[in-house]
Amino acid sequence: MQAPILTVKNLTKTYPGVVALNDITMSFEKGEVHALLGENGAGKSTLIKAISGAIEPDSGSIIFEDKNYIKMSPGSARENGVAVIYQEFSLVESLSVAQNVFLGEKRGLLVDNKDIKKRAAKIFEQMNVNIDPAAQVRKLSPAKKQLVEIAKAVSANARILIMDEPSAPLCASEVETMFEIIGKLKRQGVTIIYISHRIEELFRISDRVTVMRDGRYIDTLSTKSTSRKELISLMVGREMREYYPKRSTEPGEIVMEVRNISGLGDENISFSVRKGEILGVAGLVGSGRTELASILYGAMPKESGETWIEGKKREIHSPSQAIEYGIGLIPEDRKHHGCIIFASVKFNIVLSIFNRTAKFFIVDLKAHNKTALYYKEKFNIKTPSLEQKVINLSGGNQQKVILAKTLAANTSILIFDEPTRGIDVGSKQEIYNLMSELVDQGKTIIMISSEMEELLGMSDRLIVLCEGKYMGEVPKEEFDQRHVIELASGNC
Amino acid sequence: MPKINLRGVQKYAVMFILIILMVLFSFSSPYFLTIRNLTNIITQNTYFIILAIGLSFVMIGGGIDLSVGWQMSLVGVVTAMCMTLYNLPVWLSVVIGILLGTFLGFFNGVIVANIKVFPLIVTIATSTVFQGVSYIISQAKTYRSYPEEFLFIAKEKMLGMPFDVWLTIFIVVFASFVYYRTSYGWNVLALGGNEEAARLAGIKTKAMKISVYTICGFFTAIATMVMIAKANTTNSSFGPGTEFTALTAAIVGGISFMGGEGNMLGLVTGVFILAVLGNGMQLAGWGTYAQYIVKGIILLGAVSFDELQKSFRGKTRKPAPDQAPTAKSQ
Repeated sequence: MQAPILTVKNLTKTYPGVVALNDITMSFEKGEVHALLGENGAGKSTLIKAISGAIEPDSGSIIFEDKNYIKMSPGSARENGVAVIYQEFSLVESLSVAQNVFLGEKRGLLVDNKDIKKRAAKIFEQMNVNIDPAAQVRKLSPAKKQLVEIAKAVSANARILIMDEPSAPLCASEVETMFEIIGKLKRQGVTIIYISHRIEELFRISDRVTVMRDGRYIDTLSTKSTSRKELISLMVGREMREYYPKRSTEPGEIVMEVRNISGLGDENISFSVRKGEILGVAGLVGSGRTELASILYGAMPKESGETWIEGKKREIHSPSQAIEYGIGLIPEDRKHHGCIIFASVKFNIVLSIFNRTAKFFIVDLKAHNKTALYYKEKFNIKTPSLEQKVINLSGGNQQKVILAKTLAANTSILIFDEPTRGIDVGSKQEIYNLMSELVDQGKTIIMISSEMEELLGMSDRLIVLCEGKYMGEVPKEEFDQRHVIELASGNC
Repeated sequence: MPKINLRGVQKYAVMFILIILMVLFSFSSPYFLTIRNLTNIITQNTYFIILAIGLSFVMIGGGIDLSVGWQMSLVGVVTAMCMTLYNLPVWLSVVIGILLGTFLGFFNGVIVANIKVFPLIVTIATSTVFQGVSYIISQAKTYRSYPEEFLFIAKEKMLGMPFDVWLTIFIVVFASFVYYRTSYGWNVLALGGNEEAARLAGIKTKAMKISVYTICGFFTAIATMVMIAKANTTNSSFGPGTEFTALTAAIVGGISFMGGEGNMLGLVTGVFILAVLGNGMQLAGWGTYAQYIVKGIILLGAVSFDELQKSFRGKTRKPAPDQAPTAKSQ
């Protein structure tokens, strides 16, 4: 076997309080599809950022064939043929496809638009895809944008193409096209580093899989000789079964009914949810799940539709009304929507209630202290004091603060949008336990998640969305990952 | 009490800077450290403090109002004309002036809350509008010699201190109380801390936004009364320029340019740092123009410090004990 094209040696990167990469040593062969597998927080993204020069590791080295780098810069990564396609595309939306494809190219002062159009067309021809090089990127679908990103990498003669969750925005048929292109690149000798949560995909296209967990390298396996079960247990470090808490109660009567909700791209969505139930909402990125949550919570205006709570029709036009009717939202983007990161834990916990409990505008400091302390102990929020700023807490504890804020407002229907995104494994378990306790106490949870395992493990029932349309309901007895994914990637 | 308003180093640093400046200037001029001069510094700056406190509501709420200078101009001439030209009673003139100021603030607030443009641009635009209106109404004339009852604001001493000093102290204490103990103040802190998070938490952010500009207009009008009572004269050029001093003082005093924090004592210190600098430089014979340069540099320095502190706080996150927080990288 020839020497690996890329090797990382003893790579360590710490952020204050977090070891994001812990002494990672591994290598990538020329012309292989090498998958990186791990939960959120496992360190995959940090690893590729170190390889591409986006961050500087604390120690260790990165070796391209024979060139040894202690610290990689974006420039020298590019020189060595590294191209990265991040989850958030790095395209200039206002420019044309061709301009984007050759954006990073070194050239003179003048751009020959005709020439780059021709060259872009040639690349697309090789890739066997149909994209107009003159089209404005803004007008392309996510799938086409991704293809433009790949073309960009091809134009730069990438030898190592890193793809971070490339299938997330794509539907089933588009994923097929992408796999074909990956196959072609591989035959041309390009090394593909492929990051994905979707284990099925890895079996389809990867040659080897490296599993990471909590910033550590766990193992590299040949895809042919491993199984899904083995990968999952390596990934979570234990059997899946004990991961999701057992619940002691059965769902009760219907507490909320949603009829024909439309808006923000969602069309005619109807469903109901019961007391003490966790209703999972499945769908791919862009399927309209977060939009649905925003509408139900009154954060965004709807076009039409009705919300009935405990048998009464309720008009919800603002978050404050939603809270009044007992609906709480734990938003996807914790730092920007969930809390005020530069404010104290206490201030955040009482954020939704200090107005209501104030007497003649005077806030009730004593009661607020009590409330904050109560939730700190109840949820085991790890913070040196209630005055600590939320930015200094870990993701899991931030999420607990947000949950405390929501519950302090006496809400009973809780919408969790990606409740465990970016949270380490241990805290995830705590969040699951909390959610389970809450429904046992008679609260109702609507849970949006992109992690299929989590959705299947936690929910009593699932509804599936695809491109803003309601695709159907899946009862617990019929939970099957493949079935749900098929529904979610529906008619597109 | 939300610890949101304590800014560690800066809180003491500004006090320290003020003391250092005072020591330096007392060496450079024998007249600096006299009771008379110090009293002057205080009484000449009461309206800056009132103005800066008005502005602090907008700034802590995450906005900015650059139109306060021309608000003062317009409110000033209208109040003065009521008293001198139309011979309205003093109390009525003052009420008209304050209502007008409050309305100008409200006007700013409604625009800022409804069109999603930087408040900086909005208030530059409205300040030009106020400028035009001020000159049209005043016909570019000067209105002076106000009734004694009006001059009372700046002249009359109560318990050894001029009325406007008492008024300023009252306003400082009142504003501190609002921020620390009232739901309104907490709403302002939440609005400036993170508008979207505040909205999702059920806070009526749009109404809050309008209200902070309205309150700013109200205090600006009060500051105007003090200003024209002290001068016993006004025209349309009285006022513009004050927004710069108030803004600089607020930022020097630790009111974040990005909103969400600030304390009133720091703000008062900030006003005095600028005042002492101006006064000290004057006594040392530097002239007015050099002061502009120094004040501009101070504003740049304070804004950089604010920015630096924000990013610094972001980086040195102390994790909670016995806890492995999530990898930031994901």
